[in-house]
Amino acid sequence: MSHPGALRGAYRAERRKLVAQVSTRVLALVCGLGPFAFAAVLSGQSGVPGDTLLGAWVHGSGYAFSLVVLGFGGYLGFPVLAGALAGDILSCEDRYGTWKTILTRSGTRRQVFAGKLAAAATLAVGLLALAAVSSVLAGLLFIGDQRLVGLGGTVIGAGEALWLVLAAWLLAIPALLGFASLAVLFSAVSRNGIVGVLGPVLAALLMQLLALVGTGAWMHGALLTAAFDGWHGLLAAPRFYLPLVIESSVAVGWIAAALGASWWVVRRRDFAGPPLPRRPGWEPAARIVLGASILTVILGLVSSVGPAAVTAARLEASVQPTFGRLLVLQQRELGRTVPAGAQANLRTSCRRHSGQSSGPGDDWTCTLTIVSPRAGVEPFQLTTVTYDLSVRSNGCYRAEAPPSFVGQQLMSDAAGHNVINPLFIFYGCFDTTASPPGRPVAPAPGSTRRGSKLTGPQGRALREAEQAAGPGVVRETEESERAIERQAEGSHPAEESSRLNLGG
Amino acid sequence: MATVIASGLSKRYDGIRALESVDISVGEGEVRGLLGPNGAGKTTLLRILLGLIAPDSGTVELLGRPLDWAHRTALEGVAGFVEEPSFYPYLSARANLEVLAELDGPRARWRIGGALELLGLGGRAEDRVGGYSSGMRQRLGIAAALTRDPRLLLLDEPATGLDPEGAREIAGLLRRVAGEGVAVLLSSHLIGELDGLCDSFSVLRAGRLVWAGSAAEMRARAQGSAYRIATSDDRRARELASDRGGMRIEPAADHGLTLIAGEEDLDEFVLALGRAGIAVRHLARAMNPLESAFFALTGPDEGDR
Repeated sequence: MSHPGALRGAYRAERRKLVAQVSTRVLALVCGLGPFAFAAVLSGQSGVPGDTLLGAWVHGSGYAFSLVVLGFGGYLGFPVLAGALAGDILSCEDRYGTWKTILTRSGTRRQVFAGKLAAAATLAVGLLALAAVSSVLAGLLFIGDQRLVGLGGTVIGAGEALWLVLAAWLLAIPALLGFASLAVLFSAVSRNGIVGVLGPVLAALLMQLLALVGTGAWMHGALLTAAFDGWHGLLAAPRFYLPLVIESSVAVGWIAAALGASWWVVRRRDFAGPPLPRRPGWEPAARIVLGASILTVILGLVSSVGPAAVTAARLEASVQPTFGRLLVLQQRELGRTVPAGAQANLRTSCRRHSGQSSGPGDDWTCTLTIVSPRAGVEPFQLTTVTYDLSVRSNGCYRAEAPPSFVGQQLMSDAAGHNVINPLFIFYGCFDTTASPPGRPVAPAPGSTRRGSKLTGPQGRALREAEQAAGPGVVRETEESERAIERQAEGSHPAEESSRLNLGG
Repeated sequence: MATVIASGLSKRYDGIRALESVDISVGEGEVRGLLGPNGAGKTTLLRILLGLIAPDSGTVELLGRPLDWAHRTALEGVAGFVEEPSFYPYLSARANLEVLAELDGPRARWRIGGALELLGLGGRAEDRVGGYSSGMRQRLGIAAALTRDPRLLLLDEPATGLDPEGAREIAGLLRRVAGEGVAVLLSSHLIGELDGLCDSFSVLRAGRLVWAGSAAEMRARAQGSAYRIATSDDRRARELASDRGGMRIEPAADHGLTLIAGEEDLDEFVLALGRAGIAVRHLARAMNPLESAFFALTGPDEGDR
């Protein structure tokens, strides 16, 4: 019965139906104008959505603004978009009684199904692209094309930032389509538009809940919401790509499973059967809720299976260089001369208040000890900064310190302008799939080393730092000792020039 | 040439018989009425012919090609609807047809304007279908079928919701379509809707084909009109009728009796009632001869024979 262009015709028919729906037009308005409205509101106030990745930088870079919009989208916006576009694509035919109308035309069930999927996917990706372009334009218009501070504390130029932002939006497509596929499945099983539209949103909320429990990388990595985070590696320092590949593959797996199940339901369904009494509307919805609840409980129970993605060692290995780079940035913003290649001499120790040494949570604390050797009056000084961290299962964190340590959210730069203090709140991401870094360990019992061998105030300070920060700082302490010893012996000019002068 | 040849069609739903060894054929340019009370299997038969469901047994040939339900082959040139035609209420009539035409290829799109005009919907083509009356949706359903340029039209109760004038218009349209060689098979549970429109009838009862023949044969079969009669003693009136030949009498669904008889027999029966001391309290013609023939075929006694 089908003609050569039947699939294309089915696609065009479904696209036209979707475009004509009020919900689609509202979504297009939200995607097109929402970022402008958000940017306009933000530009009129000093507050920032600091809890969102890069949220502290929304006043500092238009590109950060776009990424914050992307972050919001991944949290709830894209599941809503997917649900609204795909969640009613099958059930609307039940509601209007139009299955028989379309299935008595020149198209097979397979072509109609494929056309529906293609139309929903096209519009979903189209609206995502609209939101991407709109958010970038809104950011550039209301905030500007300033450089972007990445997730490793590196400064990314405007040109590169634009491409990275666009790539980040592009990488959200697999997860978006994954949620659209889930919406199709809910729609096919429940034959109820409300379940189809709200199902992906509730699924996203459940997945975000699951991302907070347990420590295992396997369950967290299998969550579809994790696929919205693939772009983080692009802005990290050094960049990492394996999580991106894994998360995109996970999204493809969700798409295949959801669409396969949907087609199984649609293919078996008798659209022209006898006029049996209608099934109660709540029954399929209740089944879905029950199934989702059981699945959630099972996933919660296995949430700690597998290697830990978030560990103190990984966190320390990320926080320390990120903070170091941002410290350099801060010093330069303040007008202090920091030679190229300069780096802070840091020691970092991270732990959880709960006593665990791994897993996502808001109870992480990282203590950074800055060792600043100074020639002349004081050989070195120690500055200890303690950050409270909120660490997510995807390896991204938000660190915030009391203003007494790092200053206020805004600071005056060398020219007297108010600029964002990069150390007030900072963000970072680490590769949860990389081999765990060798965390410094405490000396074994009986070891000859038992704290700093230096005598005098420097040695005392280092030993205190060791005690305060725990055994994890031993290696750095040794390096600091060596630096101080070299300084005492006359020092190396090159080494000296690369050290940061905090007191300047 | 027969455009539909269906033989031995049987279908059961959860063990309940919907069709049992039904044969039907419709010739080119023929308008065949598919008659039967509710639940007789008319819609099931149309669903099978439209390729929506497969029968448990039996074969169908459409326009000379065997129908394969799995691959929906042989349905090119076939159009129609089952139950009431359904559309997207948020789209206009024209947009609905354009959406459906996308599934049929570009030529279907060209026929939209003409089909809307033909069905008298040209002036309301841009209105949303959500605001259409039942009759207008019936018209739109036929317009949607015509955009496929069919050689076989399968319509399930197309006169539902139409006012008498609208029903006459649709009947005239279907006759014109048939005049162009299109075969039309349309169902109804009211033979009066099809009187004057159909060339032939197939009558279903409880899933079985109980009669098939031309409209003339159906009329010839008619014993007379059907009347509703209420008397002072219905039981004795039935006994009296049973003793007389040339009429058929049954209790009516609500109260009183249904009598099928020719005019002369009716006159004699009424006089006989008077002679027997039975008063006639109500007498009215309920069905014309064709309707009464249908009633006789699908009544409780006939179907069980």
